[in-house]
Amino acid sequence: MRGSRAGSAVQEIQDSTQESQPGAELLSPPPAALRAFDGLTAPVKRLAELLLVRPGPWSRAFENLIVALIVVSIASIGVGAIPGLPEWALVALRIEEIGVVAFFSFEYLLRIVAARKKLAFIFSFAGIVDFLAIAPSLLTGFDTRWLRTLRLLRLLRLLKLQTHYLEATVTERTRELAAKNLALEQAHAQIQAELDAAHAVQVAILPARFPARTGCDGAARMISAASMCGDFYDFIELVDGRVGLVIADVSGHGVPAAFFMAVARTSLRDVAAHHAEPGACLAQTNQALCAQNPMDLFVTVFYCVLDPRTGVLRYANGGHNPPYLLRADGTIDALDGQGGLVLGVMPEAEFPDHTVELHAGDRLVLYTDGLTEAFNAANEAYGPERLIAQLRASGELAAAPLIERICASVKEFSGSAAQSDDITLTVIGWDPR
Amino acid sequence: MKVRLEKVPHATLVIAEGRLDFGAAPAFQKELEQAVTAAHAAGGQVKALIVDCAALDYVSSAGLRSFLQAARASQRAGVVFALSTLQPAVREVFDLSGFSRMIPIHADRTAALARISSAKSPDGQ
Repeated sequence: MRGSRAGSAVQEIQDSTQESQPGAELLSPPPAALRAFDGLTAPVKRLAELLLVRPGPWSRAFENLIVALIVVSIASIGVGAIPGLPEWALVALRIEEIGVVAFFSFEYLLRIVAARKKLAFIFSFAGIVDFLAIAPSLLTGFDTRWLRTLRLLRLLRLLKLQTHYLEATVTERTRELAAKNLALEQAHAQIQAELDAAHAVQVAILPARFPARTGCDGAARMISAASMCGDFYDFIELVDGRVGLVIADVSGHGVPAAFFMAVARTSLRDVAAHHAEPGACLAQTNQALCAQNPMDLFVTVFYCVLDPRTGVLRYANGGHNPPYLLRADGTIDALDGQGGLVLGVMPEAEFPDHTVELHAGDRLVLYTDGLTEAFNAANEAYGPERLIAQLRASGELAAAPLIERICASVKEFSGSAAQSDDITLTVIGWDPR
Repeated sequence: MKVRLEKVPHATLVIAEGRLDFGAAPAFQKELEQAVTAAHAAGGQVKALIVDCAALDYVSSAGLRSFLQAARASQRAGVVFALSTLQPAVREVFDLSGFSRMIPIHADRTAALARISSAKSPDGQ
């Protein structure tokens, strides 16, 4: 593995030497001698390519052989320096030296053949080192021991190769990482953009204001914890002049909750047009949700129908936290008549109906538990007590400013703590005067 | 939140501790489902899965969903699924959502275990 990479690094070095002189080949053709040399050495050239240029088992083996011979020859230079060696050892060293020099000379020639720009290779760092490794023995016979230590340079050359290889690897990995980061950022930006768009659609399908025809003062606010919200509210104008009010909370949040919310909201709207009683509406919506609920999600729904002419309010509860009725005289009642199960779990669930009469100046406050279960940094919940305190202190505030006041109070309470659940709040004031 | 399993004769106790919210629910659900699978695999040895909620401080709607799914998985596996020792705030969540009518809830561990050993059918109550 390592050998083959070093082999391809050899190629890279040669290539980079070539790149340093762009177009040099075209400007100055190689001398005639070298061209003739080329023609004579076609089989050698093939061998050179096999051993030095093309990555593979042969070039790997060749690379390893070179490293081994460098080590052997440097070790033998050291051994040869020991005084009083027997004759047979000196002969062996001499033979070894001839072999090594012959091999390095052969390799040097191969490298020249393999190099596309031969002069550039000969005068490159690698070329000079390779030459110095064999030159002392070739030029001056075999007894220039100290000069032969120049062969150590070949180790240096190997190191340089390795460094070059490492640098090339680091550069390559950095480039890959940057490309992957970019792709990741683009993917994230795209997902975020789609979630934002989906959130915008989700908010847009909910009514922006309370139906003016009813003469009631109504307002709503939804603050989602994630891009996609599991809460919803709705105001439904019924043909008999009454108006339906919905507040709901799907288990969890994110995309599945948002889909479930859309299905729940649409079903309830359809059903509300055909049933006078809130309990029957919830029962039928529940059946529809149970029939198409692959992820075992569920939704808590409080649904009430107000007759704006008389102030009579009919309600049914599917597992939702009871809304508060803020009476004009300052008392606060929870609409906690017996409720039914959350919607989407048990198709046969029933939802009892209850009735309460509103008086002039009464306000109905519907909310999801993201409000009362907003936590602060000390892990305390906002709780119903703080909500009730805000309601008590609200005087005769109209719907929109009352919502504003409660939201500001929750925000102040939570401080730096992250919002963990969607918060939805609806207020309807009834005053027939 | 933290979850610890304890084996007692004929039942596995799941001791839940901390806050079961949107973030903690998936891991908790997995833990419960594995306990259900293990109980089922033990054949008649483990008849019930009891979640001890004495140290469970908070359950969000996502948390309720993990109980719902565990109850369904238990029903399919023929294992009794029950809760014990709910803190008042958590009990309120179960009452409000109607879950206390679907999942058997016992005052404490002993009551739950007594109930299991006397129960013939896997639907508790």
